[in-house]
Amino acid sequence: MKPFQPVLDLVDRIIAGPPAKFRGVMGVFYYVDDVTAAVRTLRQTGHEDLRVYSPVPYHAVERALEQGPSIVRWVTLGGAVCGLTGGFALCIYSVHAWPLVVGGKELVSLPPFVIIGFESMILLGALANLLGMLALSRLPELKASAPYDPRFTEDRIGIWVPCAGEAAVKVQELMRGHGAEEVMLHA
Amino acid sequence: MSEITYEPEADPEDVGVTEHLPATVTQKSLNTDILRMLEPPGKIWWSVFLFDLCILAVAGIALRNQIVLGLGVAGYTRPVMWAAYITNFVFWVGIAHCGTLVSAILFLFRSHFRRAVYRVAEAMTVFGVLTAGLFPLLHTGRPWLGYWLVPYPNQRNLWPNFRSPLEWDVFAVTTYLTVSSIFFIVGMIPDAAAQRDRAKDRLHRLLGFLFSFGWRGANYQWKHYYGAYLYFAAFATPLVLSVHSVVSWDFAMAQLPGWHSTIFAPYFVAGAIFSGVALVINLLIGIRKAYKLQHIVTVDHIEKLSKLVLLTSTIVGYSYLVEFFCAWYGPSKFERDLVWWRFFGHYWWASWIMFTCNVIIPLLLWSKKVRRNMTVLFVIMLFVNVGMWFERFVIIVTSLARSFNPATWVYYKMSWTEGAITAGAFAWFFMYFLLFIRLLPAFSIAEIKETLAPPMRKKPS
Repeated sequence: MKPFQPVLDLVDRIIAGPPAKFRGVMGVFYYVDDVTAAVRTLRQTGHEDLRVYSPVPYHAVERALEQGPSIVRWVTLGGAVCGLTGGFALCIYSVHAWPLVVGGKELVSLPPFVIIGFESMILLGALANLLGMLALSRLPELKASAPYDPRFTEDRIGIWVPCAGEAAVKVQELMRGHGAEEVMLHA
Repeated sequence: MSEITYEPEADPEDVGVTEHLPATVTQKSLNTDILRMLEPPGKIWWSVFLFDLCILAVAGIALRNQIVLGLGVAGYTRPVMWAAYITNFVFWVGIAHCGTLVSAILFLFRSHFRRAVYRVAEAMTVFGVLTAGLFPLLHTGRPWLGYWLVPYPNQRNLWPNFRSPLEWDVFAVTTYLTVSSIFFIVGMIPDAAAQRDRAKDRLHRLLGFLFSFGWRGANYQWKHYYGAYLYFAAFATPLVLSVHSVVSWDFAMAQLPGWHSTIFAPYFVAGAIFSGVALVINLLIGIRKAYKLQHIVTVDHIEKLSKLVLLTSTIVGYSYLVEFFCAWYGPSKFERDLVWWRFFGHYWWASWIMFTCNVIIPLLLWSKKVRRNMTVLFVIMLFVNVGMWFERFVIIVTSLARSFNPATWVYYKMSWTEGAITAGAFAWFFMYFLLFIRLLPAFSIAEIKETLAPPMRKKPS
């Protein structure tokens, strides 16, 4: 046995993630228009909780899913406002905490503080943007919430529909009818 | 059960932008070509890397001498107390500007050509800021006390002076490092997932796993990813303009001939983009040749970047002329004396290297033939970077060496310690870069895929 084998095994286990069981149907597609048609039909048949995996975002798929704009912008705005006010507050507080009056001038000199306020706004806004994006995208995803296929980062598109029983049979048939290359049942 | 029929649809709007890339490139071939860079390196990579480490070791010895013997070995000659280190700081911050320009500003302008080149530019940004950040610390002489710059009060409750340009610099550079690193890492998430899914060895799989954050390309992930990406670009754009403006105010706020000028902020920003784009062209030309990626980073891409160099060169040239004009036309005889002395005094060689490399040589880029000749372009971009280093040297050193009082005039010469640390900065930067192209995808697989026509069963009319 290699001396680092337990560490290497641990790395493999972390990458693989904890075992998970899923119930539903996964369809693998190549053509984008097949996917949009399948998504529309699936949504019409009541499968609103479906999920589409793709190597790049496709506008047609977004439209078929009727996704609204991301709400991450509000999180970003919150961070930026906190940064802006915090930057100014830090400067104003610090000049009052130890007043050093030079030439009888005002302690609070806003023009130089604009730079600190501006940079803080960018910093906190960007950090809030990052945290908001990660939280809303449910990242980091250490435990898979649905099955996945490595081809989805290459050139294939996947549709995952959580379902079971008779509904799963119908979904499989629907996906095949819409040009799925592979349809896998997870039961 | 009756068979389900369907009518595939293809909206011409959904067809991607196929310009700039040859038709032979497919989604699958992109993964293969770009991830091929992560395969075990050859002798050339190892030779370059070891040579780089040797230079870094020499710089380490020089730094050890400076720490043990003090800043006296750094060639500082009163009143020239800002010299090679601050020149390097400004140079590397400038280099760092190109990445955000390409990734953020061109993203907002929807310039599709950026997709093939922005990852290299962003990596250059992050490593450039990491290199730049070393110099204020080395310049203090006691780098282990660098944390004194952090805005918190000392034991007497005295806070840093927020009216000082040096404190603005701390905020600007740390914000820039943080935001550009976030932008770089976020941009890499989908590509790291591709690396994780295809890597043959454990190290690359682990790196792909860590940098992808468990990304799976689900519809809700793409939605929030691009929602956030737009705001990263929107933040980074004013940030990139502000950072080099703040760096320029380190000088412009001082009442010294050659420094105290309102033109400094735009002049510095244009110069920063000029040198940054030049270095990214150098890097791209090297990478596309070494890894045979001429079909991904095409001559068109490089030509567009070289047009940016030409544009910024004209802005920099205009700024030089404005400086001359203001000195000649303005009321300050000290300013007039300094500008004359810069070009015809002791540092004439540095000033003429600056002017030749930054204004005269880039004029060759007006020729399309030159812009599309990779060898000539590579050499021109090297000259641009030499010229931009000397620009900072001229601004910093000549103004200090010849200020108001003739009794203080000196001739500063760079010491071997400064020379070794300057060379070490390049080695430090290239060390990161060489490791980066071996460990993570150096081109944006997902974004380049977006320029390809999406696979449609029914072709659009």
